[in-house]
Parts: sequence; structure tokens; C-alpha cells
Amino acid sequence: MSKVDRQLDDDVAKSLYAKHQKIYPREVHGKFARLRVLAVVVLLGLFYGLPWLQWDGRQAVLFDLPARKFYIFGITLWPQDFIFLAFLLIMAALALFFFTTLAGRLWCGYACPQTVWTEVFLWIEHAIEGDRQQQMKLDKSPMSANKFRIKLTKHAAWILFAAFTGFTFVAYFTPLRDLAHRLFTFDLSAWEAFWIFFYGFATYGNAGWMREQVCLHMCPYARFQSAMFDKDTLIVAYDEKRGEPRGPRKRNLDYEAEGLGACINCTMCVQVCPTGIDIRDGLQYECIGCSACIDVCDDVMDKMGYEKGLIKYTTQNTVEGNPTKVLRPRIVIYALILLTFASAFIYTLAVRVPLQLDVMRDRNTLFRETNEGQIENVYTLKLVNMDENDHEFNLSAEGIEGLEMKLEQEKILVKGGKVLDLPVRLRADEADLKERSSTVYFQLNAVDDEKLNVKEEARFIGPRK
Amino acid sequence: MTEIENKKRSLSGIQKTIIILWLSFVMAGIATGVFFSAIDPDALSACVTFPEVSRMGAYTIGFLLFWLLTAASSFITKYFLNS
Ligand code: SF4
Ligand code: SF4
Repeated sequence: MSKVDRQLDDDVAKSLYAKHQKIYPREVHGKFARLRVLAVVVLLGLFYGLPWLQWDGRQAVLFDLPARKFYIFGITLWPQDFIFLAFLLIMAALALFFFTTLAGRLWCGYACPQTVWTEVFLWIEHAIEGDRQQQMKLDKSPMSANKFRIKLTKHAAWILFAAFTGFTFVAYFTPLRDLAHRLFTFDLSAWEAFWIFFYGFATYGNAGWMREQVCLHMCPYARFQSAMFDKDTLIVAYDEKRGEPRGPRKRNLDYEAEGLGACINCTMCVQVCPTGIDIRDGLQYECIGCSACIDVCDDVMDKMGYEKGLIKYTTQNTVEGNPTKVLRPRIVIYALILLTFASAFIYTLAVRVPLQLDVMRDRNTLFRETNEGQIENVYTLKLVNMDENDHEFNLSAEGIEGLEMKLEQEKILVKGGKVLDLPVRLRADEADLKERSSTVYFQLNAVDDEKLNVKEEARFIGPRK
Repeated sequence: MTEIENKKRSLSGIQKTIIILWLSFVMAGIATGVFFSAIDPDALSACVTFPEVSRMGAYTIGFLLFWLLTAASSFITKYFLNS
């Protein structure tokens, strides 16, 4: 056995023996838990709902990969519009920087797909296996018919939900109605089936099995978000000065007189934590800022008749007794860059002309002399009508004295969302050519819409001077 | 944020493998997006002879190839850094 093999075996063994402890997050109720439920409902509602929406007789949001067109409500984007996608990605990244600096792992706690889907999987698990105690008991008990039945039900429910998720995902890329029809007639293409399975499997694995492991080990954002933190970033923190020394006590005891802090050491904050940490040990990179521990601790404080907020959203500066600044250079700069990109994006989208003209010169001959002694150049024009409606166009060419244009067809008609290849010949007198290669311009105008026009430059080549 | 940085993380081989696969998955996704918005697979098969595949198929194969590439590069890097 080579060294490498042995190393590999060691690794496998280690990971098998030091098996990670399953975390059973206890259910929480409270202000922030409600907020998260709201986030889950809204975000997943959007995800599962959008593909069903119709607009103008087609799916409202459809990234039609087979046809290479993106439909987003009234807008149709072509691969030529890639810039918009790039804009969106940059804006998303900037927004993430901005909110992370401001409010820490807000994204992780409420909006990350990993969090959102895990939440739903936890609900399903809870509905089938019962609460935290029941789940732990069930997992410890030996396999029995009953245990098998419960586990089977849970996984079946998970798989069903994951499969529906995969189906919805693919419905963003190929029209949902067709897809549903083909699904029920067992007529899916291999690729569609593959992606439904792939996305469904990833959902099932990540939200059912991996859960906090994804955040701890796999997520790139979790790794570099601490670089965006400063002392004024919102974090979840335990008030050590107030809480320590911790310890159990009777309900009405004057704990301060006994030399105790406000923490009754009930470990509820640990039990609810989805990443299984103890927030009382200080800020840790595992903390995804889900605020479950805030909710549960507030509850405990309430029951004890203490003031709430032993664990709360705060900043490093507040914890250290310094004032917290919201408007700091970093925040302002991120906000400004974000604003600039957003305006540029909206502007470019507003002035976008859904028409494109590509000019290709005939590759074989540079030019030709006609019987009348004129110089002729041949081009192929590619007209891309990126609008959804059919249009008729007028074409003209200019740039040389007495330039003549010859078309093979009278009317230039391009259907909505279609491309037309149009052969065009330009003729000019040699006397009018000032150089061997002159610049000419093709101007394309829609007959029924004056805003729909483009101008494209091309070369006209003549004999050597 | 000293508490955050001081924490030593030791990862098992399987965990490392999963991390590499996942991150190269993300990268392959981005690469596929950029590549195929510039190049239409139908136009591609006009100049190179491919067995007949649909555009969806071409995207999928393209993605898997990119993934293979990014994952391979990461695995090789990991191997060299370890030895
Ligand atoms: S750590 Fe990563 S995966 Fe986990 S919630 Fe945050 S962004 Fe999502
Ligand atoms: S420590 Fe609290 S806020 Fe952080 S992940 Fe755990 S429960 Fe959520």
C-alpha cells in the first residue's frame, strides 16, 4: 500500500470514527422566528410561484436556454444582452458586502437558500418525528417496525418536496406547462430528467443531511464574511457582564445578592442553535446570526421575571462600552458604488434598443467592377429583431458621394424574436472614392416605430490608389 | 474578531473533497454561463463535428466538462500543497 493510499485510508477512517454529532435544533418561537418564517414563506413562495405566472401568453419569467432567450415579464433579453446579467451579478455582490458590513450575517439568518430550505426540512422532520426530545429518543432506539415506518415517511416527504423543488428549478429554464405535461406522460428529455434529479438531490442532501455542515465547511461566503465585519457590525452577542457568573437558581431569588449573574444556565440557547454552538463562549465563526438564541433567551428571561436582552443584536463597540456608528466610510462607499451601478443598470435598460444589426463583408472578393464601371462591395447584413412584435424596416447606406444600394427584396420584414440574413450590394463611382478603404454606414429604421433604429459602420473597399 | 480567526479547523478528507467539489461546481456554473452566452452551441457544432445533441444537452455537457476541469485543478493543487 502506498503512502498516499494509507493517508487516504486514514482520512476515511478518521471521518468515519469521528463522526459528526447530529444537531437537533429545538423549535423556537418569538419575534425573530416569526421574521424568519415570513422570509421563508415569501422567498419560497416566489421561487415556487413565479414559473406559474403568465405574461402576454407566455411564462412571465423564463430563462429559455434551448431558445437562447431570457424572458423577464415585459423584457426579452438575448445573449447579446449579457452585460445586464453581469450588472446584476455585480450588484448582488455589492449588496451582499453592504448588508454584511451593516448587519452581519443577515443573509445567512434569513435569506440564504441553505437556511430557507433547511427550515422547511426541519418543519417536515418536526411534523413527522415530533419535537427535539422525541427525535433524539427515536434516533437512540433500536430499529423497529415503528421506527422504520417513521423514518420512511420522513424521507419520502423530504424526497417528494425535493423532487418538486428540482422540477420547479428546471421550469425556470424550459416552459413549465410543457415540462409538467412531459413529466406526466414520461416524455422528459434526458437532460431535463438529469437536472430535476440533480437539483432535487442537492436540496435533499444539503437541507436534509448536511445542514449546518454546509455553512461550516462548504460556504465561501461564510469564510470571507468576517473580512467585511468591523466593530460597528450588528452581531448576536451574549452580555457577559450581566450574565456571569451563571448558575441555576430559584425563581424569586435575589440573585445579585447571591453573587450570581442573570444567566440561569438552562442551556436553551445551545439547544436551539442550528450550528450547535454556545453563544456564551463569545463570537464564533460558526454563528450564522439566526437569532434563535435571542428568542429563546428572551423567553427564559420573561419567565424568570428578568429584563430581556441577555443575548441580543448588538455591536462589538457596544459590548466594549463604546458608541456605535452606523454611517461609517465603508458603508457610505459601498452604498455609493451600489447606487452608481444601479443607476447605470436602469439607464442602460431604459435606452436599450431591441434591434441589432451586424454587417459582414463578403469574404471571397474584396470588390468587383460592374459592367457600368462602378465599384461594388457585397455584404451580408444580419438583422436581429429582439422585440416580441414583427416589424418592417427601411434600410439606407451613406458615407460616399452617390452611393447606391441594391437589395434583392423589396420589403424587409423581420418577425418578432427572429433573425434575418440580408444580402446587400453597395455601388459607388471610383472617382468618388477618396481612399482605398472608406467608411460607410448602414442605417436601419423600423417603419412603425421611430425609436427602433440602429446605425452600423462598415468598410467599403476599392482599387488601390 | 480574534475569536473567529483563532479557531483551528481540522477537516476530514471527505469534508475536503466535498468542499472542493462544491466550490468547483460554483466556478463551473459561472464559466458555463459566460461561455454559452458568448457562444451558441449550435454555431459551435457547425464548425466542429459533434454527435447530434440538443442545446440543453450541449449546455449540460459543457457544464460537466467545466466542472471536471475546475475540480481537477483544485484536486491537483490540494495534492501538491499537501506533499
Ligand atoms: S454560512 Fe453560507 S450556507 Fe450557511 S447560511 Fe450563511 S451563506 Fe448560507
Ligand atoms: S449562536 Fe445564536 S444566533 Fe448564532 S447560530 Fe446559534 S442560535 Fe443562531
